[in-house]
Amino acid sequence: MIAATADASAPLVSGFIESTFSPLVYEAVRQCLAESPGAAAWDGARTALVLASTMGDATTLDLGSRLLVAGEVNNALLFMQSTANAILGRISIDFSITGPIVALSMVGDLAADLLATAEALLADGEVGRVVLVGVELAGTERTTAAHRELGTGPPTADLAVAIVLDRNDPMPVLQPAVNTPSILPTAHGSLRGLAEVAARIRGAAT
Amino acid sequence: MSRDVLVTGFGVRTAFGAGAGALRDGVFDGRPAFAPITRFDTRPYRTAIAATGGDGSSLREVLAETATAAVDMAGLPKDAPVAVLVGTAGDFTGLTRFWRAAASDGADGTAGADYPGGVAETVPAWQAAALADELGLHGPRLAFTTACVASATAIVHACQLISTGRVDAAVCAGAYLVEEENLAKFGSGFALSHDGMVRPFCADRSGLLLGDGAAAIVLESADSARRRGARALGALTGWGVSGDAYHVARPHPQAMGMVRAAGQALRRAGDPRIDYVNAHGTATKSNDPAETLGLRELFGEGAGSVPISSTKSTTGHMLEAAGVVELVITLLALRDGVVPPTAGFTERDPACDLDYVPNRPRKSDLQRALCVNAAFGGANTALVLERT
Repeated sequence: MIAATADASAPLVSGFIESTFSPLVYEAVRQCLAESPGAAAWDGARTALVLASTMGDATTLDLGSRLLVAGEVNNALLFMQSTANAILGRISIDFSITGPIVALSMVGDLAADLLATAEALLADGEVGRVVLVGVELAGTERTTAAHRELGTGPPTADLAVAIVLDRNDPMPVLQPAVNTPSILPTAHGSLRGLAEVAARIRGAAT
Repeated sequence: MSRDVLVTGFGVRTAFGAGAGALRDGVFDGRPAFAPITRFDTRPYRTAIAATGGDGSSLREVLAETATAAVDMAGLPKDAPVAVLVGTAGDFTGLTRFWRAAASDGADGTAGADYPGGVAETVPAWQAAALADELGLHGPRLAFTTACVASATAIVHACQLISTGRVDAAVCAGAYLVEEENLAKFGSGFALSHDGMVRPFCADRSGLLLGDGAAAIVLESADSARRRGARALGALTGWGVSGDAYHVARPHPQAMGMVRAAGQALRRAGDPRIDYVNAHGTATKSNDPAETLGLRELFGEGAGSVPISSTKSTTGHMLEAAGVVELVITLLALRDGVVPPTAGFTERDPACDLDYVPNRPRKSDLQRALCVNAAFGGANTALVLERT
């Protein structure tokens, strides 16, 4: 099991210029794969990419919407960048991963649902390895308003956490308090559970 | 452990209206639903045509309507531990409304302060949670945001959960209602048709048009259906998901990702004969020849004898809802013994040389069908559906 986190220092990814969302995802996954023993020899067809984010790339989505409202609608690039498929597609190309591509959104802490999704994918038998990545941005005015309605809070800073789970790995156990939402911005927001799991994995590896 | 996955209920709404009857009158009759958009001002956009219908219901409302119909048809009890899996990008009408309200607030740094509420509806996860609450179901609740394969990916996930014994039943839904954000973006990407029609696999095709769509299906294990005395409408016997690893925006030119997904689905189903393919068929320059090559690769010498149609030629492209609506269409095709046509068909593209069931429905004894979908980023799904 390998884990990595990425923050605002993540390098830019060509073609993804308006938001930190995709660079964070790319960097967290890249670090994981760089540290995975024998990653270059993986069977890409038996590797799944699963991304989870409550709000998605709100920075890009909201920029597109603000431009539309202002009468500037001619930017197809924003559509590409605001869809999580885009960065998952980029990762699949760069790391030759041709297994399932899945993007999810859920309310509350992402960890339990993300790990359950990985478990189902592994049990199904078509994949032997799942690259999980949770990502959340500190947000926009819209996501702040949405968090208020949802009774949740964003992370205090843009953050991505990636974990690579192999078929033979024991499924990580979550702390009981993980699903308790906070209405205030916290260090990890909905990524708290994943960040805890990642820290444990990294602690065990050192 | 692997368990059979049955379809025991469905609900559907498209531009033709609600229910199976509306689909039979529109999709199966080969009657495109495209017309000028009246729900918002289309003057800023390159295209003013889409397949829209209905009474101005919100995304939440059409999800609730179709899922309630599906649950009622299946006879699922309330308070059951049933997964609710929804393909949606959230309510984009609310997104535009939020920023219009913010713009009218002025540039005082309090954008959206006067927004009347409901902004949570723009969040995909909220749609799944709200639908589960509305249905009174308390299993896992997830939104799938994988663009045009979102609801198909939700269905694959449900199959995985059910076949491995993690849940007994799942409601899989998807919804998309034509709005300004996607009309603008698809238009600016030159992906929309120029002539007000969607002509998949034709030489003169010029792109897709958007369409309203919402559907829900109830999937459950054979054991669960038997215990409850629920009637099986069909069986999902194969499923597959894959990535192209080729290009962020364009499909693989030989549709190799789609071939892998469909190959998985067919293998799981026991490599049966396929009597009909509901194709992705977007009528874009890049999709249709690639999909044709992929289907040739998949079916080999027998490819020319498999009826293939793109029902997007009547419904338009329903984005996140496409997978589940097209599965419902395919379910009706199997049950009615009618292949829905590819409407608006003129002259086929020389690179598209299969049987696309042009313009008229075809009576046929259909036992088994394959539904394929593809999305931005190279994501592909395939489902094998059998008549029961």
